[in-house]
Amino acid sequence: MTTSHLLDPGFNLTLRPMRYPQFYEMYRAAIKNTWTVEEIDFQIDLNHLDKRMTPAERHLIERLVAFFATGDSIVANNLVLNLYKHINAPEARMYLSRQLYEEALHVQFYLTLLDNYIPQAERRAQAFAAIENIPSIRHKAEFCQRWMDSVQKLDRIDSDADKRQFLLNLTCFAACIEGLFFFAAFAYVYFLRSRGLLPGLAAGTNWVFRDESAHMAFAFEVIRTVRREQSELFDEQWAADVRTMLADAVDCETQFAEDVLSGGVVGMSAAEMRQYLEYVADQRMTMLGLPPIYGAKNPFPFMELQDVQELTNFFERRVSAYQVGVQGEVSFDHAF
Amino acid sequence: MSDTETLAPSATPISSLPIAQANQAGFTLTPPHSAPAAMRVTKRSGANEPVDLNKIVRAVTRSCDGLRDVDPMRVAVKTITGLYDGASTRELDELSIRTAASLIAEEPEYSQLAARLLAGYIDKEVQAPGVYSFSQSIRLGFDTGLINERVLAFVETNARKFNDAIDTSLNARFEYFGLRTLYDRYLLKHPHKRQVIETPQHFWMRIACALTQTTSDAIELYHLFATLDYVPSSPTLFNAGTRHEQLSSCFLLDSPADSLDAIYEKYKDIAQLSKFSGGIGVAWHRVRAEGSLIRSTNGLSNGIVPWLKTLDSSVAAVNQGGKRKGAACVYLEPWHADVESFLELRDNTGDEARRTHHLNLANWVPDLFMRRVDEDGAWSLFDPADVPDFPDLWGAAFEQAYVQAEARGLAKKTLKARDLYAKMMRTLAQTGNGWMTFKDACNRACNQTAQAENRVHLSNLCTEIIEVTGGAETAVCNLGSINLARCVVDGAFDFDKLAHTVQVAVRQLDRVIDLNFYPIATARASNLRWRPVGLGLMGLQDVFFQLRLPFDSANARELSARISEEIYYHALHASLELAREHGAHAAFADTRAARGELQFDAWNVTPSDTVRWNALREQIKAHGLRNSLLVAIAPTATIASIAGCYECIEPQLSNLFKRETLSGDFLQVNRYLVEELKCLGLWTAEIRDAIKLAEGSVQSVVALPEELKIIYRTVWELPMRALIDMAAERGAFIDQSQSLNLFIENPNIGQLSSMYMYAWKKSLKTTYYLRSRPATKIAKATVTASDTVPKKIYSDSEAVVCSLENPEMCEACQ
Repeated sequence: MTTSHLLDPGFNLTLRPMRYPQFYEMYRAAIKNTWTVEEIDFQIDLNHLDKRMTPAERHLIERLVAFFATGDSIVANNLVLNLYKHINAPEARMYLSRQLYEEALHVQFYLTLLDNYIPQAERRAQAFAAIENIPSIRHKAEFCQRWMDSVQKLDRIDSDADKRQFLLNLTCFAACIEGLFFFAAFAYVYFLRSRGLLPGLAAGTNWVFRDESAHMAFAFEVIRTVRREQSELFDEQWAADVRTMLADAVDCETQFAEDVLSGGVVGMSAAEMRQYLEYVADQRMTMLGLPPIYGAKNPFPFMELQDVQELTNFFERRVSAYQVGVQGEVSFDHAF
Repeated sequence: MSDTETLAPSATPISSLPIAQANQAGFTLTPPHSAPAAMRVTKRSGANEPVDLNKIVRAVTRSCDGLRDVDPMRVAVKTITGLYDGASTRELDELSIRTAASLIAEEPEYSQLAARLLAGYIDKEVQAPGVYSFSQSIRLGFDTGLINERVLAFVETNARKFNDAIDTSLNARFEYFGLRTLYDRYLLKHPHKRQVIETPQHFWMRIACALTQTTSDAIELYHLFATLDYVPSSPTLFNAGTRHEQLSSCFLLDSPADSLDAIYEKYKDIAQLSKFSGGIGVAWHRVRAEGSLIRSTNGLSNGIVPWLKTLDSSVAAVNQGGKRKGAACVYLEPWHADVESFLELRDNTGDEARRTHHLNLANWVPDLFMRRVDEDGAWSLFDPADVPDFPDLWGAAFEQAYVQAEARGLAKKTLKARDLYAKMMRTLAQTGNGWMTFKDACNRACNQTAQAENRVHLSNLCTEIIEVTGGAETAVCNLGSINLARCVVDGAFDFDKLAHTVQVAVRQLDRVIDLNFYPIATARASNLRWRPVGLGLMGLQDVFFQLRLPFDSANARELSARISEEIYYHALHASLELAREHGAHAAFADTRAARGELQFDAWNVTPSDTVRWNALREQIKAHGLRNSLLVAIAPTATIASIAGCYECIEPQLSNLFKRETLSGDFLQVNRYLVEELKCLGLWTAEIRDAIKLAEGSVQSVVALPEELKIIYRTVWELPMRALIDMAAERGAFIDQSQSLNLFIENPNIGQLSSMYMYAWKKSLKTTYYLRSRPATKIAKATVTASDTVPKKIYSDSEAVVCSLENPEMCEACQ
């Protein structure tokens, strides 16, 4: 009754015994991290946009928000149309369902953000049409189509070739879109935050970053699992394809960076951004068990901030680290 | 940075800088990553010049005196790399400061370098409109409508003395975080140009002058501030010497009476108090519950939730002078029939009309409730309309009234006490809010409650103030904190220095009571009658690091209690002296101290030197006290970062963490740890990454000696039982209370219910936030990726077992 591999076609419904408890644990951890857009306060941001930011920085923000507004929808579509269909374990599909909700939440966050940041209806419409109007964003969308849409016409993945194609889609999704495009976008936000700007955007991005990190971890766990089960799929061609794809993604995002930073932003140059992208791409290669492409070092010390636990002063901002879903019963003999 | 030479360009472009020349200066020159050869900057004069690396290096080097482990070349090169063509010199200066700051996590000395660069930058900004001395700064402040006449007159009369007393070498006391915070938010800004008009030393002197009446007192106080030995609370720092001298931190308001007028009056009072930087505590237990009859309309009440929703919006709307957001905490007793909805106010799911995201929540818990929980008894909920006397009763009188009300069948609902307690614990775990504060302990051990008509109805925003309130009295407290980190001299704790600091600090806090601008009349009435102050402390953790004491060791515990005993003793002594000079406070006869009862008597604790204490006790009975309350340990969030020490009584959160404030995020490393690691030759990139990967813990750093691992545990690695024990030990010498945060990484109801029951049994008056950590972790963006890949591979059976048997903490799945 059970299938033997995660990528075998079908719709397995068996949760006990559970084959991949790690996916279930990831699902449960995600539930504990529920947040809502209503918790985020954009008031200070509006003041900053109005008074504290240069035209070049405002340009940066508009491009960034335009990317965010469409980026998560692309991710959500791929999730439903490609991934959910082929990852055949109910506990993994539970995680994907949760992820889908989170992607919608991100879309809602950026929608609310955009509505707040860009009050004029016309410019708002332009921002949402970013995919068509802004070449540097269109490039990114084309990149996604290039590497992912090929899977869309597959209803079943039976052959090894199909499976490799699927894995490439998944890798693109995890390593390039969530793992590179989004990481670059986060870097702009955290750069601004390191200068005390736009706390509302930073607060929401913190949550999104946490979610995206988990999504990426899930996707890589799927890849690891498949590798364990069917190591023959991970041949040299796959490695070469991944390498080409990541290099393509770095170039694509570099173009975006040149546009975003075109006004001249003190403390962040397009060259540094390029180096950061190379550094992140190397990390993704390492996570996939492949040799790094660039040997680049992280040029952005402010990204280290992101690695380090928050200590929020409640006078300043709302603490964003509480848990949902607490277990247990009243008792007086627990250790504490 | 000197006045004449800035981090600005000169005639030599980078490309023409001979490499050999740089090497002769002792630096290895790495060409900037991307700087185009013809990069230019725009000077303040508007002139346009090529960037000169050499000149930047010289400017940075000048700020490196006495710093052994910083590399000026690195800062200069990195600064140029982040520049764009046509940037201004001001942007260049700012970037060099941020660049130095970004290296702090690697080498803590960069914090001092960044601070010095920032101090130079501030000097330039202040000097721009022609301010070169303290008295000029005050004059400009007055002319622009910021400084009041009293301070102007005092300063102008003694201008030379004050100007001479300014000691710019004390700038070196600042870490970057502290100075940045001052610059961003505390230094007075020109009302239109928005540039600061005072330097950090002017700032300290301005506050000192505002809080004293003689030049010698002013200069003594200035030194206490400028050395960072003692720092008054934020409202005092924000407002001293200005035209609106609202210097108090906390306001406590009793519940509005159960009428429309009273509720709207309360909103107005809160808005007024909030406007001038005060934090608000307000009780709500007199307002009728949901379903209660409204006689005038014959309708039924919607209970307290809609009122609190309105309060929530009102608090959010009042931005404290543009400096920080308003903040309030609502207190409710757990017999109120709406308590269950109250506990859901901070949930982030459910009906938004019943959620208050800005309000903090606290439970004002009577002993009877905790006993019913302990015995697994029933608990009854009442409508205040039926039991209007409950908020004014405590101890035996409350219990009698409560049991009678139950017997008369007045309860709206009865449930298991443990079910409600579990709900409280769940709220704490999920939101950090719903603080447990204990009504009877607060009333029993309060100096102001000797007369039955004086009752404590709530604590404040940070749960460290315990003062009586009523319809005519809004309680007020002025705060300041001693930096214990500065009391360790030559490897020992200097109790004489502590005693001196306490004396000066108490006089300053007392002075605030008379100077203060009171936004509402009931606050003034209460404060002049009781004259309470709240002297606190910060940097306890620094003391333990400096003396190499594990936080929960016997020696640390003994020292911690002794420090609080000394602070209490000398604070009482200073207040006694003030009473001799100016008379006892008006309500002294109504206090426990008038009968010779001191705080530790309420705890049944015998102090260390009874002879000394008995002598003091007799003097107090004879001469009175100037202040009904003296000691309160506030959270010190911002002032600790100004002073560069750990917050109040708290253990360190992490050996490596960032601080988020309105002025941006900063990374902090435990500099004591770095010193130890440097001595051992262990401060390497690998160890730093290992600490980062372990969320700031050093327990998995194999190379570190066990002795140090115990000292450098984080709060997540300490037993909370020890924190509660230590709080109780010092509690006997704290006549108000302490903001005691508790920390559990991944809390469950069993753990929490045990912990808070223990805190109650130890007679703690209050607890503060329950802190937990994020449920899922963020990917480490800057630690080498292969380290983060789980290495464990499961066998199928193992995988099934681990998730079934241990769903909470499945180690294999981490």
